[in-house]
Amino acid sequence: MKNIFYIIGVTYLITSCSGLPIQTKAEAYPAMYDDRKPLSVLVIPAINKSTAAEATDFFNVTITEPLSNVGYYTMPVEIVKDIFLKEGIVDSTMIKGLPTSIFKKNFGADAVLFVTINKWDKQYIVLAGNVSVSMDYVMLSTETSEIIWSYSATQTIDTTAESSGFIMLDILSTAITTATTDYVPIAKQVNYQAFTALPHGGYSELHGLDQDQNISTTMKDAALEEDS
Amino acid sequence: MKLNTLAVSIFILYLGGCATANTGYYWENYSGTLYSYKQNPTPENRARHINELKKIIKKAETKSVRVPPGVHAELGYMLAVDGDKPGGGAELRKEASIYPESKTFIERIYLMLGLGDS
Repeated sequence: MKNIFYIIGVTYLITSCSGLPIQTKAEAYPAMYDDRKPLSVLVIPAINKSTAAEATDFFNVTITEPLSNVGYYTMPVEIVKDIFLKEGIVDSTMIKGLPTSIFKKNFGADAVLFVTINKWDKQYIVLAGNVSVSMDYVMLSTETSEIIWSYSATQTIDTTAESSGFIMLDILSTAITTATTDYVPIAKQVNYQAFTALPHGGYSELHGLDQDQNISTTMKDAALEEDS
Repeated sequence: MKLNTLAVSIFILYLGGCATANTGYYWENYSGTLYSYKQNPTPENRARHINELKKIIKKAETKSVRVPPGVHAELGYMLAVDGDKPGGGAELRKEASIYPESKTFIERIYLMLGLGDS
């Protein structure tokens, strides 16, 4: 019984937190460890390319917490959105082509983070349900406009309240399943997963100590491919 | 027992998507109340989110840790929009003093809300 916990946990760690080919964070993201490293990050409201319009809010409300917890100064997405609206920017895709120096000048941001929701598919099969999510994260320096970090997060999360045969998932889905599934914790979990690949920022105890951690280069490159 | 501890720590890692907080921030139900307000922007849901922001600040004070980034700014912004300009301005200044890198951003909010010079 206890072994099940152990095996599922280890499998999860292996499948979602690493993968081949791998690089250390310092090799993958050199700009995050030298003078170019950002402290303040402006998160651009998520660009939603999925078929689910509701997914945008799930990610916008859950990104500040995990990004801040990795040690960055993160500006509240809601305020940023209002500022953009006042400037006539209603859609984040309008921002993509702009020179990043604008964000240094107007927000004092060292870096700007673009988040793209590629997939948010809910599936229901009689007693079982899941949501399949695919996200791209691309961070650019506002000094040099270069891409300093990128990562792709892909997860299929079980939303079944009934037994799925996996104890871990049962516990999780029982906790989050009420009348309807609460997707906020799911979106938060995906954001947390992506930021495990992000070098820790100045407010984290691990700042400057995580350069030897491994990340998947496949996921690093995937975010850039889909982005182009 | 040892295995139990291991199982629990793995489970916590699982919930956090492998991330652990290394900043000491307490976020309470920030995402939850914000989401409710966005879905259903009633005065009650707005008040609930404002209360949650105050709760986060109070928690940080009791635990003697830093208030998470943006919390004073968001509270200040909401208060000012609701007409409490002095209260809102005070919160915005707190944000800039805890996080000096937010200065330009805070000035931007002052400008947008017509709060005068920060």
